[in-house]
Amino acid sequence: MAIDFTVSDAAGKPWTLSDHLDSAAVLTFHRGDF
Amino acid sequence: MAVIANRHGEFLDRGGRVFGVSADTPEMNAAIVDKLALPFPILSDADREKAITPLGFADEKHPDNIARTGSLIVSPAGEVVFTYLGRDYADRPQEEVLLHALGALDLPPTSQEPPEIGAIEPGPRAVPLPGIGPYFRGAKFATLALRSRYRDLGDVFADDTKQYVEMVERYLAALPGVEARRA
Repeated sequence: MAIDFTVSDAAGKPWTLSDHLDSAAVLTFHRGDF
Repeated sequence: MAVIANRHGEFLDRGGRVFGVSADTPEMNAAIVDKLALPFPILSDADREKAITPLGFADEKHPDNIARTGSLIVSPAGEVVFTYLGRDYADRPQEEVLLHALGALDLPPTSQEPPEIGAIEPGPRAVPLPGIGPYFRGAKFATLALRSRYRDLGDVFADDTKQYVEMVERYLAALPGVEARRA
């Protein structure tokens, strides 16, 4: 694994990158508060 | 996000699931997912310490807690195979570039469950959906006016403003897709 991290989804639940790599993950970073 | 949402199927066809990331709270992200009827989740790294800063997307020049725009593609092996780091929050990668990079992985198609959202609480600067069109049209024409006013600044400014106007036009063109998903 080159990278891994755990953040929160929009329901407040933990979300870990390595749990979602049965496909590629396209991570798009946004400014926020839009 | 609206543009990527409209082309979500093309990402899935190329074996990639989309995940937005911001420094907003889960409640603010829930508001954006709901407003734009996004078919993918937005993840919250509210202190920017889990993903945004370690991956280089913190906007240290900005006084607010925001992320620089940009994208990473992570392969199923966990390797970063594509990175686009925007110079600021107005600098975003073109969807075609992302799709091309994803296609180069030659992965089978995939699927993605609709995002689960909890309590909705828009942020203080959130633009309501009916205001997004006027917001971007204003940005477009202000940019065009400045481009004309400062045409003597040379190719870098001309190219940058042209790129920004094209991004705004892509977003404006994506708004009917948002309305269609919400209908």
